[in-house]
Amino acid sequence: MTRYLARKITIYLLTFYVAVTIDWAIPRLMPGDPVDGLIARLHADSTASQELHGFFTESFELDQPLWKQYLNFWWGLLHGDLGPSIAYVGSSVSELIWAALPYTLALLIPAIVLSYLAGNRVGAMAARRKVLDNTVLPVAYVLTATPYVFLALLLAYFVAFQWELLPVSGAYDFSVQPAWNAEFARSFLSHWILPFLSLFLVSFGGWAIGMRNLIIYELEADYANYLQALGAPNRLVRKYAYSNAVLPQMTGLALALGVIVGGALVTEIVYGYPGVGSLLLTAIQNRDYFLLQGIFLFIIIGVLVANFVVDLLYVVVDPRTRTGLQGQQ
Amino acid sequence: MATRRKRRAVGAVALVVALTTVASLLAVGGAGAGSQSPFALPRAETLYVSGKQWGPYTNFNPLRPDYNTGTVGLVYETLFRYDPLKDKFIPWLATDGKWVGKTFKVTLRKGVAWNDGKPLTAADVKFTFQTGKLAGSQYSTMWKTGLSSVTTKGNVVSFNFSGTPNYQEWDFNLYSIPIVPRHIWSQYSATEITTGNTDDTSKQVGTGPFTYAAGAGGSQTLQYNRRSNWWATKALGERMPMKYFVDIHNTSNVASLQNFLQSKIDLSNNFFPGIDKQIGGKIVTYYKKAPYMLAANTAWLVPNTTKAPLSDRAFRRALAMSINIDRIVTADYGNIVSKANPTGLLPTWSKWIDKPQAAKLGFKYNVAGAKALLAANGYKDSDNDGYVENKNGSDINLRIIVPNGWSDWMTAIQIIADSTKAAGIKLTPAYPDFNGLVDERNSGKFDLVINNEKQIGNTPYTYYDYLFHLPIADSQTFANFSRFTQAGAAPWALTLKVNKLKSSNVVAAKKVHSQIQKYILEYLPAIPLWYNGMWAQYNTSVWTNFPTATGKGLQNTPSTWNGYLNMTGVDALANLKRNN
Repeated sequence: MTRYLARKITIYLLTFYVAVTIDWAIPRLMPGDPVDGLIARLHADSTASQELHGFFTESFELDQPLWKQYLNFWWGLLHGDLGPSIAYVGSSVSELIWAALPYTLALLIPAIVLSYLAGNRVGAMAARRKVLDNTVLPVAYVLTATPYVFLALLLAYFVAFQWELLPVSGAYDFSVQPAWNAEFARSFLSHWILPFLSLFLVSFGGWAIGMRNLIIYELEADYANYLQALGAPNRLVRKYAYSNAVLPQMTGLALALGVIVGGALVTEIVYGYPGVGSLLLTAIQNRDYFLLQGIFLFIIIGVLVANFVVDLLYVVVDPRTRTGLQGQQ
Repeated sequence: MATRRKRRAVGAVALVVALTTVASLLAVGGAGAGSQSPFALPRAETLYVSGKQWGPYTNFNPLRPDYNTGTVGLVYETLFRYDPLKDKFIPWLATDGKWVGKTFKVTLRKGVAWNDGKPLTAADVKFTFQTGKLAGSQYSTMWKTGLSSVTTKGNVVSFNFSGTPNYQEWDFNLYSIPIVPRHIWSQYSATEITTGNTDDTSKQVGTGPFTYAAGAGGSQTLQYNRRSNWWATKALGERMPMKYFVDIHNTSNVASLQNFLQSKIDLSNNFFPGIDKQIGGKIVTYYKKAPYMLAANTAWLVPNTTKAPLSDRAFRRALAMSINIDRIVTADYGNIVSKANPTGLLPTWSKWIDKPQAAKLGFKYNVAGAKALLAANGYKDSDNDGYVENKNGSDINLRIIVPNGWSDWMTAIQIIADSTKAAGIKLTPAYPDFNGLVDERNSGKFDLVINNEKQIGNTPYTYYDYLFHLPIADSQTFANFSRFTQAGAAPWALTLKVNKLKSSNVVAAKKVHSQIQKYILEYLPAIPLWYNGMWAQYNTSVWTNFPTATGKGLQNTPSTWNGYLNMTGVDALANLKRNN
């Protein structure tokens, strides 16, 4: 067990190091000087802008050699300092991300967990009933093939714009401010439904298809036939099939996380949802090196941690992994 | 057993989901807690505006020009305001300002109080202007071009200059620099003052009609509450009719248009393509007919005058003559903009435009004329591909750029490229993203770029500076993107001369203006295309009496963009009436 964990942790740390290094390098490969853009947006008076250029370049430490910027970056990272934002001069990257993160998590976690649970459940049911299989499967195929943005746009157009059932953008009404009261909660929920649905539906389709195919495969496996031949009740057979079918799905979850996170980012942009995705867009548009790094760092950490959790869960769920571990010891 | 375990697992997962949702709500809820407003603002007492704020509400610092909506105008105020439509300075925190020799003496209004109860004093004004000396200040120019000291006596502030003051720039400062309270700001460090966010909202102490109420960082709105004892109510009878002022953070123009049409926004300063088709009924604009909006700035086609053939003024003229600007105005903008004067000066500066000269020397759309001019100057189509070649026979293919996503401009350059084709000039539209474009533009790598950075204001000096500023640096960050030097130092010398002439000195000033305009018309350092609008559309379902061209006393700047509330935007707000 310890060896298994140690090996996993080493791999994760290595991945983290490589990902973070790429994360640092990529923004700097984009054409354009972030300080020029900043000054163009500031509309400072004429002569002042020339001086400001030097001032800002120095204050962002962009005048230092690249290797030093890279070391500074790790130094800051290890001290929990993600640096200053260029797009929003005067704010730190951490405070911007912390402000946006709750919105993204409120979308992402329910969408991932609920679509996984519901998708697997419905997929398993579809595998057993012809009527369901003929209705759910095509729908699921369409859903999973739909890009997140497209579904988001469709929902926004019909539900929010044409039928005016739900608000089209933002995370709450203009008439309320984030606060602890029923008014805000109501407003927050009504704005949350559409972006949540866009994410939920697309991943739901994928899980349902996967589960349906796996269950059919498992039910045709020898152990299932053997159980049936022994006269085991259908429910028991299905339960065993489900337990086995869930394993590849869990691996799938770990793999899909990155895609879902990406989906959440574009969905936020469609709905003007003030989460990390919208922040990322601004960061890219403004060549905000530090903000970009910071956001990617959060995504990297998020995806790695989630994968690690899945790895651990695997040990719990799949007895074979456990036996394997014991064998190693 | 197994089912129970599974049920427990499902239960645990549901708990996690519920917890994260609640935790997120908590975290989000915490951000704006502590405001004393009702949970949801009453619609009839709230004015909703949008169109200024595109990023989070991070910058509460009035001394940084990218401040949050309303920071200057609603919370902090300036000594004067400037009315561009009447070309008049409005005494605001000052009751009077005049030149006595090389000293500008400002008399401060009595009875003005900060919203923490302390009185506004001459020391506050002195302190504010002295922050211009700090490194990183965006108002540093005045201290390097003549302002030598600020002294106070009672409620009179004297700004002492050495040498002839830059009158035009100084006038601009008078209505642009917001006065901050010394008793609070003296505790800030130099960096906090010049580039900090000063976002401790309990310290948003201003003299203006509103106080900060809620919204910061990623919140979608910024809310201000009306202040009960604003000085202007007593002194000038001006009172804000709305109890709450809410600015909405833009996410996209499409979303803003939706909200605007659904009456969730009263005053929108967004650019809405196709808004001309919505005008009428409850949707109102400044003018009833085209161009519907006031002009806010000029969109220029900036050529790189260091590259052939754009270095040839005859070629530039032929290029200008071959552009069908009217088609851009009608097809691209649906007539919500108007064609620019050939000098590029805004309509509000009409008194400075030498009209007979502009009529005589200005370029006009004329394809045949453009062709003839090209031919006469040695640009011929020798390989019969429909496009003229350089004098040395090499192909001409100029790249014309605008920022990606600026859809109206993207269409405009397609129209431009299409219309210059008729005269045989080959242009290729390209859409780099904003920062990439700024990089090309500043470093002089571009061929042709559209730019409208200089806004309406008290003086065309800013436009002359924009066109002729010398010397040329490796990176041109704010002016003379064309890198224009072909007329020598003369136009720049004249520009400096304009800056040093008082606006009241009309006869002398007009002569210099006319001389500079001759350079614009003859050399075309940049080609004026159209006037970009002061985008403003009003949904009158809840509020009426917005600025219009015809309403009595309603000729105000209907904008919440930075710098416009301290023109006559504040009056526009004060004039509003509830629609019953």
